Amino acid sequence: MKKVISLVLVLTMLISMLIGCTSKDMETRELDSTKDAEEMDLVEENNSEEEGNSKIAEMEEILMDQLEPMPELDGGEKIGVLIISLTNPFWSNMKDKYEKAGEELGIEVEVLSAPTEGDTTSQLETLDGMIVKDYDAIIFSPIDGNNLIPGLLRANQANVPVINLGPGVNQDALKEQGGHVDGIITVDFENQGKMVAEDMLKQMPDGGKVAIIQGIPGAGQSEGRTKGAKEVFENTEGVEIVSIQPGNWDRNTAYNIATDLIQAHPDLKGIFACNDVMALAAVEALETADKKDGIIVYGVDFTEEAQVAIKEGRLDGSITYSPSVYTKAALLLSLKIVQGEEVEGPVYSPLAVVNKENINDFDGWK
Amino acid sequence: MIKGYDKKSVGIEKPFTQLFLLGIMILLVIFLSIKSPYFLTWNNLRNILDHTSTQLIMAIGMTFVISSGGIDLSVGSIVALTGICIGLMLKGGVSVVLSSIIGVLIGGILGAINGVIISKLKIAPFIVTIGSMSLFRGISLVITEGMPIYGFPPQITYFGKGDLGKINPPIILGIFMAILSVFLLKYTKWGQYSLALGGNEEALRRVGVSVNFYKTTIYIFSGLMAGLAGLIYISRLNAAEPNAGFMLESDIIAAVILGGTSMKGGKASIGGTVIACLLLGVVRNGLTLLSISSYYQQLFIGAIIIISVSISEIRQRRQIQI
Amino acid sequence: MEEPKGNIVFASLKNISKSFGKVNALKNVTMEIEKNKITAIVGDNGSGKSTLIKILSGTIRPDSGSIYIEDNLYKYITPKLAYEKGIATVYQDLALDNFRDVTGNIFLGKEITKFGFILDYEKMYRETEFLLKNLNINIPYLKTPVGYLSGGQRQSVAIGRAVYQGKKLIIFDEPTAAMGVKESTAANHLIKSLPDKGFAVLIISHDIYQVFDISDRIFILEHGEVVDDVMKNQVTPQELRERISLGAKNCLRESECID
Repeated sequence: MKKVISLVLVLTMLISMLIGCTSKDMETRELDSTKDAEEMDLVEENNSEEEGNSKIAEMEEILMDQLEPMPELDGGEKIGVLIISLTNPFWSNMKDKYEKAGEELGIEVEVLSAPTEGDTTSQLETLDGMIVKDYDAIIFSPIDGNNLIPGLLRANQANVPVINLGPGVNQDALKEQGGHVDGIITVDFENQGKMVAEDMLKQMPDGGKVAIIQGIPGAGQSEGRTKGAKEVFENTEGVEIVSIQPGNWDRNTAYNIATDLIQAHPDLKGIFACNDVMALAAVEALETADKKDGIIVYGVDFTEEAQVAIKEGRLDGSITYSPSVYTKAALLLSLKIVQGEEVEGPVYSPLAVVNKENINDFDGWK
Repeated sequence: MIKGYDKKSVGIEKPFTQLFLLGIMILLVIFLSIKSPYFLTWNNLRNILDHTSTQLIMAIGMTFVISSGGIDLSVGSIVALTGICIGLMLKGGVSVVLSSIIGVLIGGILGAINGVIISKLKIAPFIVTIGSMSLFRGISLVITEGMPIYGFPPQITYFGKGDLGKINPPIILGIFMAILSVFLLKYTKWGQYSLALGGNEEALRRVGVSVNFYKTTIYIFSGLMAGLAGLIYISRLNAAEPNAGFMLESDIIAAVILGGTSMKGGKASIGGTVIACLLLGVVRNGLTLLSISSYYQQLFIGAIIIISVSISEIRQRRQIQI
Repeated sequence: MEEPKGNIVFASLKNISKSFGKVNALKNVTMEIEKNKITAIVGDNGSGKSTLIKILSGTIRPDSGSIYIEDNLYKYITPKLAYEKGIATVYQDLALDNFRDVTGNIFLGKEITKFGFILDYEKMYRETEFLLKNLNINIPYLKTPVGYLSGGQRQSVAIGRAVYQGKKLIIFDEPTAAMGVKESTAANHLIKSLPDKGFAVLIISHDIYQVFDISDRIFILEHGEVVDDVMKNQVTPQELRERISLGAKNCLRESECID
């Protein structure tokens, strides 16, 4: 009995701690977001003549062309978004951008996620929970190709339109089970790998040995980027892929792989890491070993940290698309579908390679 | 006197598991040296030691926890949270040395939270630490909103990367902790009571030892070790992330068990933990050098754990039941 | 019963009663435990003898009555007080750490250190050898984990610990219940040697012959009451046996058996 009481006590303590944390966090976040918005306005004003914004505008134009005709904007729709994880900077940024785009378009947006990046079942459970709520459409980004399929079938039954953003759901498996997605908006991961590899090769005119650090093997982004880069490297004379190792999106793992790589291949010329976190770890490792000079390192995502590193000349490049344009397009696409329009084929987000030469064009990038 | 006992060897266990692991490691080293000209270079060996050091330091803490009959699943999350605390302090202008020390101590405080709940409220360590694993990770995510912290004064990287002749601080720290813990385990009351907690907690209580105190300190020790690993992480990677050390606890526990420390408690082998960590480090390094997929790494490590633990269990059962 | 002169009482119980719900486990029990003597409590299952040792070792509290230890009056005893007063109980489970060797178990909680914190194994092994020799305990392999020892040897270790750790009263709960003939002879021999070394011994047993063999004074407990208080030299084993079986009833239902 005593044990039960103490257990209950501890649980309440923990829960109250958590509630305390989150409510406090919400307050600060609200404060932050108002502050952010103000800052953002300033930034936008400051940057309105700069190229960063014009680049975004350019991208926005390309995307919006794909979405013509535009949906009506005053329908009061409520859209649910299921993303992969808030533990990954990329996705927490996406959450932000979704919310801002929602504000801009005057629609209600709620963003939910799985607790950790690899937690496939609880992402499915989150989706199940979302289906029974009153969303007009759900935008989802699955952790892997299959984990959300049962939920998507239930969404189809409940007549909630589902829009696939980013990593693709396994279409064959879905169709086999009688399900469908109502719209697809994505980044062409293979193309990302391809574009990065091509840009890397421009910096390595003599070719040489290259290595790829993958994400989690089997994950769509990781496999797509690897495939695209691999194709380019393999089809270029004088370029040899010496190693493809999974870094699991983890900084420490990538660091260790990079130190081992330069040991095994002292004449290595380039490293392509499937995201910036791992690319930065590789840079860190090369710098420690005094080998950074002469080895080109590229990542993917163009995180803030990567932006700083490219400016400092530590990281050689990355590839990006505008998350703010991307999320806005996703919301517009969902609205069109909710309003009964058919959208054929996937909508692709335009991509831009960032390197030392053009980094200054990306000031104020969002 | 009972016949059939050899006076010198009855029940005094030979380090069979450890020798078995050492044998595998030697075979692996020979194989890798033949396969890759780079394997036996000092720089590569140094890499292995460097990569193994964080894992070893945490595994040492875990060895004490497991030998006391407990488990600490929160170590990976403590790595992340201490790293973030250090990162925030550095960002806030606290000096590198001070933030490092406070950071490691925070690891100890987090361990103390585990320890006090486990000992005072008598809740199973598995339950408490699976909870704190989530709790600490959650706090890290809330504080950082999921974003990495970076851009520290360059001195912070000295600890992780600084050159001291042929080796670097994490390696020295790993070696130091290994030696210190052998001493603690064998020659101090604290070490002996950790074992006795796992062997027969009731016996320890009946001879008037404050069981709660010692139990709590074991978790503090484990927390401090994880905090130290968190410090090495931030100084090596020059960034602090809320998802650092994710799922690290399973690697650490695997290394400790592989080293021959019994999950039932009462027995511990620091030497075994050291060998197991090194073996895992050699496996990972070798696979990268030979460009073999990490799927095989999982397969290989899993197979070694099952084979080695089974063999030592069977050997023990053949002797007299304990 | 009159006491022989010169005997020192280490502990005594006066009118101790304890009930669990409606069951009276002990009713006005009064008894004495003398120094340098072996006192025994015999009784059938349900006679209340386990309750009695639990009161003496501090794990349960009596409802009424008083306890005197070395002339100090207590209403009840806590485990800590029992520890401080030098009351050690050797339970059937012996409370040994099976992974620890003989010396490690004997010195558990009272380790010898040098410089205040480094364990001095050399000294502990020497002391163990000396102690075991003194007690005529023959365990030649001090570094063997006690899990590998026989029941009798394990008990010797538990006794060795109680003796080493400066105890005054050693309570044995069914000391030879799980032992073979040879081993229990050795154990009896060891227990018998304790009073001469200054200990008070209390032993609880079913085994009338063992009790008769080693104890000086025997309390017979039935249904929670002391029905007889016998000096060993006044009875024969047969008489003792008859006294116990008189009035002892078979206990078939659990509710009737408090033990």
